[in-house]
Amino acid sequence: MSLCVLENVKKRYLIGEEEVEVLKGINLQVEQGEFIAIMGPSGSGKTTLMNILGCLDVPSSGSYVIAGKEVTQLNDDELSVLRNEHIGFVFQNFYLLSYATVLENVLLPTLYMERSRDGFTRKRAKEILGLVGLSDRAKFKPNQLSGGQQQRVAIARALINDPDLILADEPTGQLDSKTASEIMDLLSKMNQRGKTVVVITHDANTAAYARRTVRILDGLIVD
Amino acid sequence: MGRLGRILRQSVMAVRAFKLRTLFCVVSVALGISSITIIVAATEGAFKKAFDMVALFGPDALLVVSGSDEARAIGKREKTLTLEDVQAVKEAFPGAYVVAPSTSMGDVTVAYRDKKYQSLVVGSTSDFSRAWTWPVVEGSDFTDADIRGLRNVAILGSHVVEELFAKEDPVGKYLFVKGIPVQVVGVLSDRGTTPTGQNLDNRLIMPISTVMRKMQNERKYISVFRVRFVDQKKLSRYEEEVRLLLRQRHQLPEGVPDDFRIISPKEIIKFLAALTGSLVVFLGIVGVISLVVAGFVLANLFLLSVKERSKEIGIRRSVGARRNDIRLQFLGEAVTLTTIGGLIGFVSAIGGSRLLTLIADFPIHFSWKAFAVGLLLSWFVGIAFGLQPASRAANLEPIEAIRT
Repeated sequence: MSLCVLENVKKRYLIGEEEVEVLKGINLQVEQGEFIAIMGPSGSGKTTLMNILGCLDVPSSGSYVIAGKEVTQLNDDELSVLRNEHIGFVFQNFYLLSYATVLENVLLPTLYMERSRDGFTRKRAKEILGLVGLSDRAKFKPNQLSGGQQQRVAIARALINDPDLILADEPTGQLDSKTASEIMDLLSKMNQRGKTVVVITHDANTAAYARRTVRILDGLIVD
Repeated sequence: MGRLGRILRQSVMAVRAFKLRTLFCVVSVALGISSITIIVAATEGAFKKAFDMVALFGPDALLVVSGSDEARAIGKREKTLTLEDVQAVKEAFPGAYVVAPSTSMGDVTVAYRDKKYQSLVVGSTSDFSRAWTWPVVEGSDFTDADIRGLRNVAILGSHVVEELFAKEDPVGKYLFVKGIPVQVVGVLSDRGTTPTGQNLDNRLIMPISTVMRKMQNERKYISVFRVRFVDQKKLSRYEEEVRLLLRQRHQLPEGVPDDFRIISPKEIIKFLAALTGSLVVFLGIVGVISLVVAGFVLANLFLLSVKERSKEIGIRRSVGARRNDIRLQFLGEAVTLTTIGGLIGFVSAIGGSRLLTLIADFPIHFSWKAFAVGLLLSWFVGIAFGLQPASRAANLEPIEAIRT
């Protein structure tokens, strides 16, 4: 079953007076349990595609269905709920809250759940920290951790709400090659446990972990 | 914990994390709240004092004083009220349960053994204690026989007793008032000083007949008289009727000012309001200005904070925070800050008012009312000045917020 279906997705931005079409008709299906790399040079539209896949942005035209919902029909609040329940983000710069502890960062998505059981989510957060190998760092602040450890925290945060889709935007961009491969191993492990993973990258080594690679150039998927 | 509680906990976390912002906001709000709290407390204190004074004076009482306002203004003490006036008022107002004339002499030397004291001698009828609601705590009040018999008896104010008798029991003892031997029959309770600093306990009360005949060589004129009415609601009407009766008796034609003055509880309140009014106005202006300044400090620091923390906002939005969740968090931060400021302001107001009472005898009364006004105002400032920055935070587009 398809988790994400994009049909003829176009995205236009108004830059000054000029309208620029960044995505020019993307067709893409992401199946449940896939591990896909989306590759492309900078300016190819891959970041815009990721924003749309992650429901941070909506298509100008075309259709995007995720988990059975047509994104173009949803309002801002509904999109927020969708992100909260179905999508986990991993960013290039980790994007952790500097004033919160590791555990609090991992718990961040649970704050915005409609129903959340504190005891349960804390227990789950600790389990996931164990899974990413940071059990002993729960009370640390992000600036006390290495880059690789911070990215593990981000992955733990992406997993806490048990989302259908993990979206990683250049997850290894800030890491040395050894740490990068550890992070990618971790994402592979999550994929093996049944998570759908989409990695956006321009790095072939990173893309090599995926089972399918999609190339994007000038706003179109090329193969 | 519900969603609301979880988000407000984030607010508290941020308040603790951004310490410099917290410091500036809290201090500026505390300043404003503390001056406003002092105003509320001072206004309440003034009311309470006015109330106490009215209770002391008697809420159902009028005091009629001899002499026109003009004469008093130039320090002339003319006596215009007579014993017949008092009798006429007594007959004209069956609703008056006390009509008590009194006359006074200042700076009278009172001597007991080798001790001397300058006292105010007040001549009164047997109604003194009742007319002034001023209990005799030792011995007893005068009797009518004391008045009729021009007896040399006295009731002492507590300060007179302190000065002349030390540890002796004064009741039954004889002292000399203007060289005349007088027997002490009673002692009045402590009454303290008036807001104008006049000591009320330095007086010595004697039968009015004795004072007038034996000390003042006076048969007719008295200084003041006091009337108390059963129905205090009609006091303003009674006041007007007493005025008309006295004008008629004194044969004052229209256009000529009163040659007496009627003091009512209303006038006491007016006097006290005037006394505290200027300070309250001054503090009020200071308080409102500093609270508005605090509001702008808050709004500015929050706008800056929203700008600095746009990435945080983007992160929160990407993990599922709705616009309202963001708005609520920032509003929560603002209100948390102003609440802390308000509480600190209240505490420092208590300290500040101590200082104020050291400088001037200023009635200040702290109650839950001052506390509630301060707290509500601090919330108001937090919401009013925090809403715009919070809404700006909420309206950031997630992709723009996260890329900045």
